[in-house]
Amino acid sequence: MVTDAYSVREGLGEAAAFYRSHPLLNFSYFAIVIGVTMFAMHPVFLLSSFFMAWCYSILLRGIKAIRFNCLVLIPAILLMTLFNTLNVHNGVTVLFYLNDNRITLEAIIYGLASAIMLTSVIIWFSCFSVIVTADKFIYLFGRAAPVLALTLSMIMRYIPLLQHRFREVAAAQRCMGRGLKGSSWIKRIRQFGKEVSILIAWSLEASIESADSMEARGYGLRGRSSFHLFRFAGGEKVLLAAILLLGGAVVAACAAGSMSIYYYPAILLPRFTVLQWISLAAYLGLMSIPMVLDMRGIHEWKLSHAAM
Amino acid sequence: MIHTCTLEIRCDTVVDTSKLENEAVIPYVPANGVILATTEVEYTPGENVFEVLKRVTRDQGIQMEFRDDPLYSGAYIEGINYLYEFDGGTLSGWMYKVNGQFPNYGCSQYFVEDGDEIVWMYTCDLGRDVGDNSTW
Repeated sequence: MVTDAYSVREGLGEAAAFYRSHPLLNFSYFAIVIGVTMFAMHPVFLLSSFFMAWCYSILLRGIKAIRFNCLVLIPAILLMTLFNTLNVHNGVTVLFYLNDNRITLEAIIYGLASAIMLTSVIIWFSCFSVIVTADKFIYLFGRAAPVLALTLSMIMRYIPLLQHRFREVAAAQRCMGRGLKGSSWIKRIRQFGKEVSILIAWSLEASIESADSMEARGYGLRGRSSFHLFRFAGGEKVLLAAILLLGGAVVAACAAGSMSIYYYPAILLPRFTVLQWISLAAYLGLMSIPMVLDMRGIHEWKLSHAAM
Repeated sequence: MIHTCTLEIRCDTVVDTSKLENEAVIPYVPANGVILATTEVEYTPGENVFEVLKRVTRDQGIQMEFRDDPLYSGAYIEGINYLYEFDGGTLSGWMYKVNGQFPNYGCSQYFVEDGDEIVWMYTCDLGRDVGDNSTW
């Protein structure tokens, strides 16, 4: 699927149709999906969220999303499975005894399930960071909680900024002949420490100037409006209603226990009844809304390009 | 000289399984409430109640889980036979009594003497339902 607007390598990014939707849609979608993912431990729901998270992250961020996702998934699986198995000794199926403690299959499976849940949440957050930018955040929370919105948007800005600054510091040091490569171990560590201290000093001074300038412009005051072009487009009210309805159904099903599962002492799955099928359908439908929108956006773009 | 004591593990308070919040434990709750009937066990002098429990449950194939807790100056029993603390509500857990009295301190602190009768009981009410009125 290679078009001018969308390259598989780079992903849609901010060209996504969901990006251009109203921030309320974006935020409510992610809030519901991430919230339900954290509480639905039933393997079917867990795996469907995991699968959808992967699909959407690859659609938005391209092939490099696969590398990021694997970088999160593999340590999560190793650490959580190990940690859970060594600390929890509940479970009927004993694999072997370690120092008087049982290593059970149920503990391993629960560790795996927790790792998959954690990875899904982190991948959903990576999609969230592409779609919900700082200005959308301030727009949504600017009236209600200006200081919180401001702090969060600053955090979102600072991480790539610090990375960029560090690269500049390292480049400058290299040009001065104090590069990191080639010297002994101790020298490299000292040089790295020096670069970090330069970065910190620069960032602290810059943040003081930044703070003064923002205060002078009235950031953080209640009622400060920010310029935005967020309007509800044609079908978006219907879409918002659909998200809230499906989301509400899924949350209600979760609260009623249809997504719960007992892992100890033996794995007890609730029977998969019609209610479960309905909630699974609602869950999958809810999660696929942005992907459908984005695909339709790509299709419309291709059509409009062909017409030219 | 052989030193012996007796050990019993009971869960009468959850025989009525409607009290259990964790439904998966229900098949593992014995109907008569006896997880381990009164058994005479040998011990070496200097062993505490926890070590006796650990040995007996391992020998008899009964699941037991503990953690080291500084609050109890030693081991704290989280669960026996898949029945864990808080499975029967927020006030539930395992308590032990020796010779009919609840010592009310950690089981690593009670050193077993010859002829002691140790009973481990599951309570759903911080001890009140198994006869421990000492603290109230």
